[in-house]
Amino acid sequence: MEDFKYIGKRVPRIDARDKVTGRTKYSTDIYLEDMLWANVLRSEHAHAKILKIDVEKARGLAGVEAVLTHEDIPGHNGFGIIEPNWPVLCRDRVRYKGDAVALVAARDEKTAERALSLIEVEYETLPVVDTPEEALSPGAPQIHEKGNIMHTMELAKGNVGAGMSEAEVVAEETYSTQFMEHAYLETEGGVAVYDQEEGVITVWCGDQYAFRDQLQIARSLDWDPLKIRVIGSPTGGAFGGKDEISVQIHLALLAYRTGKPVRLHWSREESIVVGPKRHAMKTTFKIGAKKDGRLTAIDVDVVANTGAYDTIAAPVLNLALESSPGPYKYLHSHFKGMAVYTNNAMGGEFRGFGAPQVVFGLEQELDKLAERLGMDPVEFRLLNAVELGDISALGHELRTSVGIKDTLLAAARTDLWREKEEMKRKLEASSKYKKYGVGLASEWHAVGLGVGIPDFANVIVELGEGGKVTLRTGAIEIGQGNLTAYAQMLAEALECDIAQIEVIHGDTFLTPDSGTVTASRSVLINGNAILDAVRRLIPQLVRIAAGALNVAAAELEYGGSRVYSRSDPNLSLSLEEIAERALAGGEPLNAAGASIMSVSDKDFGEGLPHNYYTYITQIALVGVDTGTGEVEVVRVVSLPEMGKAINIAGVEGQCEGGVVMGEGYALFEEIKVEKGRFLNTGFTTYILPTALDVPEQQTLIVEKPEKTGPYGAKGVGEAPTVPITPAIANAIYDAVGIRFNTLPITPEKVIAALNKKNAGDRGVAADKSS
Amino acid sequence: MGNTHEKQLNMKDIEINFFLNGKKITVAAPPSLTLLRLLRERLSLTGTKAGCERGECGSCTVLIDGEPVNSCLVLAPQVEGKKVETIEGLSREGGLHPLQEAFIEESAVQCGYCIPGMIMAARALLEKNKNPGREEIKRAISGNICRCTGYVKIIRAIEKAADKLR
Repeated sequence: MEDFKYIGKRVPRIDARDKVTGRTKYSTDIYLEDMLWANVLRSEHAHAKILKIDVEKARGLAGVEAVLTHEDIPGHNGFGIIEPNWPVLCRDRVRYKGDAVALVAARDEKTAERALSLIEVEYETLPVVDTPEEALSPGAPQIHEKGNIMHTMELAKGNVGAGMSEAEVVAEETYSTQFMEHAYLETEGGVAVYDQEEGVITVWCGDQYAFRDQLQIARSLDWDPLKIRVIGSPTGGAFGGKDEISVQIHLALLAYRTGKPVRLHWSREESIVVGPKRHAMKTTFKIGAKKDGRLTAIDVDVVANTGAYDTIAAPVLNLALESSPGPYKYLHSHFKGMAVYTNNAMGGEFRGFGAPQVVFGLEQELDKLAERLGMDPVEFRLLNAVELGDISALGHELRTSVGIKDTLLAAARTDLWREKEEMKRKLEASSKYKKYGVGLASEWHAVGLGVGIPDFANVIVELGEGGKVTLRTGAIEIGQGNLTAYAQMLAEALECDIAQIEVIHGDTFLTPDSGTVTASRSVLINGNAILDAVRRLIPQLVRIAAGALNVAAAELEYGGSRVYSRSDPNLSLSLEEIAERALAGGEPLNAAGASIMSVSDKDFGEGLPHNYYTYITQIALVGVDTGTGEVEVVRVVSLPEMGKAINIAGVEGQCEGGVVMGEGYALFEEIKVEKGRFLNTGFTTYILPTALDVPEQQTLIVEKPEKTGPYGAKGVGEAPTVPITPAIANAIYDAVGIRFNTLPITPEKVIAALNKKNAGDRGVAADKSS
Repeated sequence: MGNTHEKQLNMKDIEINFFLNGKKITVAAPPSLTLLRLLRERLSLTGTKAGCERGECGSCTVLIDGEPVNSCLVLAPQVEGKKVETIEGLSREGGLHPLQEAFIEESAVQCGYCIPGMIMAARALLEKNKNPGREEIKRAISGNICRCTGYVKIIRAIEKAADKLR
């Protein structure tokens, strides 16, 4: 085991001091002189034709500086990470309640609001398509020219029919999951400024990929992208929800048209109605196994409610398919998916990226099979779990670290798993109405963008005055702690003090392009780029030291933050001294590093499959109140395998937060939309877990360093959000013997199911007596 | 309707005197302005965050006479004569408050947007209760939503700060 100074330690975050003192400036904390306030007119209807937009009265209001419609967009009137068909401002049609119809900028917020109310839009309503079933029914209104099917995907290996006939036990079920809101605390917002002399538009907006935002703004404004500066970091939470455009193009348009600084900050309601959600999906599983417990075949069918526009829905559906078999071996498989347009909420990218929806079902089906086979859930999973070099359910070889068995074995060793019956008995003895249960679930979660998708990072490392080391990365700090992980890796590689390091991040004018901060990829890809930069910087340090010490470069070596002579270690120069010489000689000391994600040997199309996975098992202890139907999550243990943990506290933080997010998904959270109308647009009706709702937690890190990752790291951002949901469902089953195939598992559903079960248990007589 | 609105727009600023982070100040503001907006927009104290502006998330928590409140639900004139403390007031002598130290040491911060409000809610608790139990801590921050951390390290940081303060 290598002895590291920073890697694998509990290192305090480099951005924490500014965050606990309130000094961190998020994009919505920027207020500029003569700043205008912007507002967006949203559609009145979920589906309608626009017959006329009259902005004359609004333009005439004192204090209004601009009222813009689709006519005012110089370039392409649309955005979208894959297919840019989401209108910047709608022209003749609105397809959901979040659609933007007009923009206003005024001297103050109240004037902007008043101007919005003066815009007159004439609509002709169209029938609303609420669900994929409706959208696919004959004669359904067509939401787009190409029809209502946004995307389809199909993958197969072997012969699933033959695999099912070989099976001696078959489990089959359909699971439905709901729309889920990201609910980052900072809603979408920012400020834009147009510098007319330089022709540069600057947009401050917390996002996940400033360089893609730059291109999307340029496309809509017909502007030179190099004259658009996007500063996207830091942001007050993102979870995938800020990868797509929100306010950026609107801000740039208004700044350009008014020549003044403009501010736009969505209200919570606007954030909920407009922004993409975790897709609602319906997934049907059919899984076969032999009597000895070996899985033979899996057949999966997923239908996603994708809402009105594309954004990144196709890759989300594809990853749902890739995630759906889990980290298990099957000789035969078949996966089929379809994303369908509706006039409901927008589906999009959300931490987990299609996996939570399917893993919720898969891991319950596996428990069902284990029960029927009389096997322990861990034993059953272990028997079928993949190892390094195995061929996955999709048909690709697993060539990077595979730790699923390690996480399962570690789970089996926890007190929560070993002593579960005793714990349940004790808890039940102290409460009359509560039944307790323990459940477990696992997942593999793809890291990186997948084969065929450009997946790279560039960084620059500079040595400056006083030995200060500056890292420039395009990556955004969305809260996960990547900047600290980068500083740790850089300090370790340069053998310097982490306090010497400053990170400049997420600014298209000051940093190189490091790709998007999604897909749990940022530590792996930026880490490798940092190590590449250090490899290129060290020879420069040696060359300068050689000149200064008058020693042949071949005589010198770098180590311990110094360049020293191999024959006479006293002959050396520190980083600070080298920087001094270089600066005196007018020579900039910097090195660019780059990294490209390694990919699978197989290519199934559209980014499938992936080459790296996080493996994780989670165990949950829950209490079900048989009087109220309330489910309490008492305790959770997470066992993630992410290669090597760069920052122990960071990995724990991802797990602890992921668990609570998955708990919300399991028990409370659901964006309800009826006929395109949003029923819960605030946190009084959209229930988020508070400190009073959360379990006691442990994170037991399982390490399996991956040789192609920086210091052995892969990634961990998403996985901890995923298996916790089916672990809770399996625990509920363990407690009360009821399986739920829809989310969230609310007290109403629990009570209804308990009543039904009791009625069934007691036979017909029970119906009479009740 | 329009008339009421015009009146609102023309509503005259009134003078408000209060103690902000220990200093007596006088500001002129329209009576309809919330304390949150007053702090952020007129006094440049952006450490207090706007998360929902309807009292549902706790990001804007400040102390008024030692009580934690959602500053988005308080109108500026309501603080006349009162003591208002924001996150900026916590470290004003240059050093960090034990709560701030503990939040750093325990890695209780992720995106950080909820943290100023969270720390102010915790401060109100620790001012009144030097020895809070875990349930009391949970209750004290139950009006403050954090979407990143799962609250585990936040609760631990508050326990640690209580130790430091004893």
